[in-house]
Amino acid sequence: MRLFEHEAKEIFRRFGIPVPNGAIAGSPDEVDLAVRRVGLPVAIKAQVLVGGRGRAGGIKFADSLEEAVEKAKELMSEKIRGQRVRRVLIEEKLDVGHEYYLGATFDQLSGKPVVMFSTEGGVDIETIAEKRPEFLISKHVSLSRGLFQFEALEICQKLGLSGTLLLKVSSILHRLYGVFDQYDAMIAEINPLVVTNEDKLCAVDAVLEIDDNSLFRHQDIKLDLSERVEDEIKREAIQQGLSYVKLEGDIGVIGSGAGLTMTTIDLVKDFGGKPANFLETGGAITEQLMEGAVKLVLKDRRLRALLINLYGGINPMPDAAKGIVKAYEKLRPKIPILVKVIGNQQEEAWSILESAGISVVKEIQTEVAVRKLMKMLGE
Amino acid sequence: MLDYGSKIVAGVTPGKGGTTVHEVPVYDAVKAAVSENPADASILFVPAPFIKDAAVEALDSDIKLLVIITEHIPVHDTAYVREQAESVGARAIGPTTPGIICPGKTKIGIMPASVFMEGNVGIISRSGTLLYEIAGNLTLAGIGQSACVGIGADPVVGTDMIDILRLFEEDEHTKLVAIVGEIGGVQEEEAAKFIRKMTKPVVAYVAGRVAPPGERMGHAGAIILRGRGTAQTKIDLLRNAGVRIASRPSDVVGLVKKCLQF
Repeated sequence: MRLFEHEAKEIFRRFGIPVPNGAIAGSPDEVDLAVRRVGLPVAIKAQVLVGGRGRAGGIKFADSLEEAVEKAKELMSEKIRGQRVRRVLIEEKLDVGHEYYLGATFDQLSGKPVVMFSTEGGVDIETIAEKRPEFLISKHVSLSRGLFQFEALEICQKLGLSGTLLLKVSSILHRLYGVFDQYDAMIAEINPLVVTNEDKLCAVDAVLEIDDNSLFRHQDIKLDLSERVEDEIKREAIQQGLSYVKLEGDIGVIGSGAGLTMTTIDLVKDFGGKPANFLETGGAITEQLMEGAVKLVLKDRRLRALLINLYGGINPMPDAAKGIVKAYEKLRPKIPILVKVIGNQQEEAWSILESAGISVVKEIQTEVAVRKLMKMLGE
Repeated sequence: MLDYGSKIVAGVTPGKGGTTVHEVPVYDAVKAAVSENPADASILFVPAPFIKDAAVEALDSDIKLLVIITEHIPVHDTAYVREQAESVGARAIGPTTPGIICPGKTKIGIMPASVFMEGNVGIISRSGTLLYEIAGNLTLAGIGQSACVGIGADPVVGTDMIDILRLFEEDEHTKLVAIVGEIGGVQEEEAAKFIRKMTKPVVAYVAGRVAPPGERMGHAGAIILRGRGTAQTKIDLLRNAGVRIASRPSDVVGLVKKCLQF
């Protein structure tokens, strides 16, 4: 889960990382109030969960209260990279002397955390790594040992920092790793960390993505799904513990296991169909989960057909079949439904589905199921 | 697992010590369990919040192979377990894996035995159910497997694809390796580098060709970020390394037959 900039900054601030004076606003009145609190001139920043916000026009500046309110209104009526802007962050506009990049994430190759520092901030890390690798220092961190202050200092020293600046920047890098560590972050990033012309340091942007699987130990983080997930079906899927991705087509797909479900949508495309979605049940299929999954996908009015592809290792497939039948009997969809189910107690699952009048594929090959579905659609 | 012939010497569930399950003794702690019943591997089904603790407990008891079935484990915990395992020369497989099966011999996992058959194809898979489909296709065609290993598809895994490739390259029972990959991460990319040096043929199927960028496709690691980790880049890299690419799961059968000259 990625946090909004203002949420990330609140956490950074608590860890002693300097952030600009700012206030969040969701209406013209709130903007008015925020500008008065922060003081002119201001930056007006769309709060959206996508990268490349600046380039997409999501950051504006204003020298007067009227201009700020006007520009905030404009932003809140727009979409930035497909995301509605519900709120803007009003911040003091800083005069930028120099920009640094600071980050902590996982190196997937070694499985270790890595902290990164660059004196060429303001552009994204990939660009720095590609164009100016000599200005990027990264260092693996041992999770059992952590990152020490002196190590953060050594990293910053390597790129020529000295004196007070070295102390200040390295201490921010050390604190940023602290946020990464304590909040189970997938990524914690300050880009840019600005040195103002008055030698003040400030984290002008903040990225913090927390591992969804760790939320059980971060009760302080309040999740408002309605703010984060625009699509209603996707929102409900998350609440039910399902993984859903909306696609452009008209053939609904439900599968057990991410790899098998991805394969199913690949094959639908291969055989000339267009998948409407990706819905994956995860490893623990129950009757209730399956019923919910089928109901959810059938909410999509674009559907012309539904293909369900299940494989039961330890999960009993008759339960899954019962869930499908329940949803089917409640909704009585007018579109063809085809179920391929293999594995744990498959025969019983087949007979439950067939008794309810649902078409079943008994072969292990997903190709067989997709081909049959396309035939049912007359293609 | 018992039905499959796996030698399960003990179970551990805190609070259930002194009981038995299918005649296997249950202990409160791993140390006591292994002092009375020496074991060289441990399979973990512990709920995600407790995995880190359970894995370190197993490593402390000098167990050198951990198979972590549990899904939804925090990445920081997985990375910690991996670091601890590496520091004592142990290996963790997973998380989010169906485990390991050596058909006809043993399994440390939850996969259905029926789709596997003894033979000489080694399979490495990032996905569980897709492993069943690919192995099932091979078995139907009369092609058996030496070992099938699910490495999981989290952003950080205990054991990388490349590590299993090394083991298969050295394994006398394995004549060919089949990789079941998917979008996201760097596993296939790294594997490709090693495959160039391998003597055994490798075939691969990579799932997720129509996955849109930026969306997590079920597995935490199955996400195309900023154009990296796409199915096509993985396929191209593997192909350049000499891997034969199956465009559909059932095509794996034909490719394996061709390589092994059935």
